[in-house]
Amino acid sequence: MRSPFVSECGEFCTSYRADMALYKIPRIRYRVYGVLFLFLMLPWFVSEYATSLATLCAIASIGAIGLNILTGFTGQISIGVGAFLGVGGYTSAVLTTTWGLSFWIALPLAGLVTALVGALFGIPSLRLKGLYLAMATLAAQVIILYTINHWDGLTGGTGGMILARPTLGGFSFDSEMSYYYLTLTILVGAFIFTSNLFRTRTGRAFIAVRDRDLAAEVMGINLFRYKVLAFAISSFFVGLAGALMGHYTMVISPEHFDIGVSIEYLAMILIGGLGSVVGSIFGAVFITLLPVVLRELIDIVTVYLPQATEHFGALRQMIFGAIVIVFLIYEPEGLAKMWRNFKDSCKLWPFSY
Amino acid sequence: MSLLEVDKVSLHFGGVLALSEVCFQVEKGEIFALIGPNGAGKTSMLNCISGLYAPSSGSIRFRGEELLGLPPHKRAAKGIARAFQNIELFKHMTVLENLMLGRHVRMRSGLLAGGLYWGKAAREEAEHREAVEEIIDFLEIQAIRHKPVGTLSYGLQKRVEVGRALALSPELLLLDEPMAGMNSEEKEDMARFIIDIHEERDVTIILIEHDMGVVMELSHHIAVLDFGRCIGFGTPDEIQSNPRVIEAYLGQAESEEVGSSA
Repeated sequence: MRSPFVSECGEFCTSYRADMALYKIPRIRYRVYGVLFLFLMLPWFVSEYATSLATLCAIASIGAIGLNILTGFTGQISIGVGAFLGVGGYTSAVLTTTWGLSFWIALPLAGLVTALVGALFGIPSLRLKGLYLAMATLAAQVIILYTINHWDGLTGGTGGMILARPTLGGFSFDSEMSYYYLTLTILVGAFIFTSNLFRTRTGRAFIAVRDRDLAAEVMGINLFRYKVLAFAISSFFVGLAGALMGHYTMVISPEHFDIGVSIEYLAMILIGGLGSVVGSIFGAVFITLLPVVLRELIDIVTVYLPQATEHFGALRQMIFGAIVIVFLIYEPEGLAKMWRNFKDSCKLWPFSY
Repeated sequence: MSLLEVDKVSLHFGGVLALSEVCFQVEKGEIFALIGPNGAGKTSMLNCISGLYAPSSGSIRFRGEELLGLPPHKRAAKGIARAFQNIELFKHMTVLENLMLGRHVRMRSGLLAGGLYWGKAAREEAEHREAVEEIIDFLEIQAIRHKPVGTLSYGLQKRVEVGRALALSPELLLLDEPMAGMNSEEKEDMARFIIDIHEERDVTIILIEHDMGVVMELSHHIAVLDFGRCIGFGTPDEIQSNPRVIEAYLGQAESEEVGSSA
């Protein structure tokens, strides 16, 4: 039997199908199953609090994957993610609470409605690029939040809405553990879908639009169609994340979806790695856990500096900003690139070449 | 009927006349060269054919169908491919992905089928991979298949760009200075590829090139542009003996010009 610790010296595929697999080398495939297994076992070994953090990370990851499809892969900057999360959350809230639909119907519908709204606000992307598009999506953020705030009859205005945890048959997803499994399943689905997308025709067209839109057009890509499509599929995942978040916290109000959330999501994909699916997850976990870790640190420091707690909010923002800047300077390709570098050096270890 | 008929095409940029009533025909199965001094409007002409510029008047017909008014991506679907003068590859994609993108208009699967990667989409990817591998063999770039094109040398990038255009299975291939900036060895390789593309793949080629040796040897017909005007059209022999072409390239041999420069 081969030693599991010896690396392969190459890829020896005998068919194009095998060469185009997501994980070509069997050993790496098993490693991926192993990681998945660890995440499946996670809630059995950690506290409820840690499980709830993991759930939040998973929800953020779904949203970050969505944003990365648009901004990282297709190159269309969007600072309207917060509002799109809101569209997903409120759609699901209205469908389940007001209309009494099942969560299992409301969740995909929340995604679809958000996709539709996203596509609508994606229409200017044909003419607008870079910063100008950012401004247009900022307008989307403001318009959508204004609508949510003032359409009292539908959204309950500033008061927000109450949601229920989903049920399936007689089983209710009330516990931390069950909701964790629900979000993990959807995250795995989103991960596989997106990875597949970017090894096939449509995904390649997205990347082509990002790298050189002029050449893409001359190679037969309908820019308008693909940009709007990118907005739609990206918003679909963001909408799912919004709905999942709503049903998890069981209450949503406009301040959950303000511009700060949009910036946080942009930070996730920047730190995680633009144009990397696994990077989106790294970034989402990083940004979600950052305040938690800071809180712990502050608690330690408070013993010596009692006034530290008062400044926690400001300190959090400052460190958040500083980390984004540090990443932009030292590793613009984010955690995904660091992870790749680490794997490469493992492959060569103990030699340096 | 010629494969491509360019009829009295004029192009304005503000007040500047970039092309003025340019006429020429490209026959099916030939190598056609477009030459002229810098700024003569050669690339503008190609941009009109591939749809990046909209001429203010005239007509461009491909297989008898009017092209003007069609967006660039629809012209690509009709079988017109293009390699750019300044490399316009997708830098972060690998050579293979760039070439697979070239197959875009020949493939069907959409977003959902691709994301789910079920039967048909996966099969289609494999089928078109085969077509792309053929081009990789043809252009002798097997070794760099999985490299991101941003890391390749200039000469190789040029070759990949031709490969991407070829992946579209074009009927008409527009090559904008495929040999610019190459050393003589790379030029020889590229000339060989152009001849092979023409002979083995039955592709009609429009070529812009400054190396007159290459142009005269490769092409069947030549059109000469100067200041946006077509000043000569014919076989290489005819062009070489055309007094207006000689004048445009070498200047006028008249005493007053000599006198004014002295």
